[in-house]
Amino acid sequence: MSIVVDSFRAFIAGIRQLPRKRMTMRYPDVQTEMQSYYVYDPKLGVAKPGYKGRHILWLDKCTGCQLCSIACENISQAIEMVKVSRSQPNNKKSIFPQVDYAKCVFCGLCVDACPFYALGMTEDFNLVSTTKKNLVYAPEKLAIPPKVTRPKVEFKIDKDVAYHD
Amino acid sequence: MSMPLASSGLQTAQVAEDKLVVSIGPQHPGAGHFRFTITVDGDTIVDVAPDPGYVHRGAEKQTEYRTYLQSIPMLERSSLTDVTNIIGPYSLAAEELMGIEIPPRGQYLRMIMSENQRIMSHLYWLGIQGIFLGHSTMFMWPLGDRDIFVDLGQMIGGARITYSYWIPGGVRNDMPESFKPRALKVFDYFETRLKDYERIFFQNPLFLKRTEDVGVLRREDAIKLGVVGPVLRGSDVKSDTRIDEPYCFYKDLDFEVPSYKECDTYARCMVHLVEMRQSMRIIRQCLEKMPLGPVRVKLSPQQRTNPGEAYARVEAARGAMSFHIISDGSTKPYRVRISVPSMRNLIVLKKLLIGSHVADMPAIYWSLDYWPVEADK
Ligand code: SF4
Ligand code: SF4
Repeated sequence: MSIVVDSFRAFIAGIRQLPRKRMTMRYPDVQTEMQSYYVYDPKLGVAKPGYKGRHILWLDKCTGCQLCSIACENISQAIEMVKVSRSQPNNKKSIFPQVDYAKCVFCGLCVDACPFYALGMTEDFNLVSTTKKNLVYAPEKLAIPPKVTRPKVEFKIDKDVAYHD
Repeated sequence: MSMPLASSGLQTAQVAEDKLVVSIGPQHPGAGHFRFTITVDGDTIVDVAPDPGYVHRGAEKQTEYRTYLQSIPMLERSSLTDVTNIIGPYSLAAEELMGIEIPPRGQYLRMIMSENQRIMSHLYWLGIQGIFLGHSTMFMWPLGDRDIFVDLGQMIGGARITYSYWIPGGVRNDMPESFKPRALKVFDYFETRLKDYERIFFQNPLFLKRTEDVGVLRREDAIKLGVVGPVLRGSDVKSDTRIDEPYCFYKDLDFEVPSYKECDTYARCMVHLVEMRQSMRIIRQCLEKMPLGPVRVKLSPQQRTNPGEAYARVEAARGAMSFHIISDGSTKPYRVRISVPSMRNLIVLKKLLIGSHVADMPAIYWSLDYWPVEADK
């Protein structure tokens, strides 16, 4: 008897989902709202919550101290210091970090290592490329804030249904 | 009895007149990077030979070449469904060596993330258990709902899966203000959802038929073989590191540790279900009790430790996870020893599978929640 009842209950639990809105997000057409940038405050020694996507480099603040590249050394060796033709009084050697996203694991420990508020991480996670060369972001490219053009959707949650509309 | 198989991709071998060796894995989508060979006599398994080690990356050795902070991203990658808990004991042991005290808010944030991670890991486990038993709805639902918890983790950790959040010295960042209302909403939703799970899966007569009295691991055997985590609790032993050896502020919280007398696959599945409820209960209490204040102690990137040894253990999603660090006082550990729950639970595979039917193998195997990458380190 209980086999019939329990099977029926299982069946009903499935049927009840039919009129509900879909949970799947239509990703390439839309995307979720991401948080703000992940930035670190060296004075307080703690970071602000944010999404750890591609880096952003504030060129005018970077002193070329290489601490970010040293921090990454045993993690993935993704940061290389490169010379940039740009005269800046606080960066005498004109060297800036260049990030290779074929290697980076997005841990953000380089951001935590920068003592001059020069490095952060943005909400841009869409770094697909067909060549490895395009994944190497030169300092000038890192300095451009990302633009997200896709419409944003929210993951809505009610008492018993979660959906994207 | 089981013969070593030729490496030429041979999948079966006749070893006696009525016995056949069958190779399972290492590329089976459920088994992961893990192979075991079973010897079958008709429909009954008569011998099992687990063969782990396909994804051994030398995590223990690699930590010796990295500073305490730099090891974190590498270590957490060995268990992608359980990243917060796997680096927990490493950080706790390192902190003990450094002799630092973590601010209370940082400890609460650690507990929130680690319980959130437990729910994510159990939901992943549940999805795979569902598809192993041929219940594809139970594959879709948990993995869909897991995304909500991934989102929650992302709000604090800033990444989908690998946050490198729990580090020596505290946690990386405070939680955003929007986390609490969102989390409470998610838990209300997920609690009603768990009732749906029960109706469609856990009380489903077909699920009961396939798991009850299948793969029975008696209490004495479980203790003797030294299994941990949900497998141990499924065998009627109420053992949990969060209670036995509380770390962070688990001793101030009120939660239950499930254990089941049945000792079978069904009991191990139920432990996972109950633990998800308890994890939500823990996070709710943490959000209530959390004090304001700093979350991280500022350490130098080249932080030195005191020479000596430290051992720390936390309850990861799959069981007790522990690190033993020996330091000579430099910036890098001298030796690190990792003990992972997956490896300790693998031992019982031989005990459970021998004598069972081939059709019961997926249910038993996955009820151990074996994660090859974690076990191979
Ligand atoms: S995020 Fe991590 S891996 Fe990537 S560049 Fe920074 S330190 Fe290196
Ligand atoms: S980004 Fe920061 S850490 Fe890296 S070189 Fe510039 S100032 Fe130094």
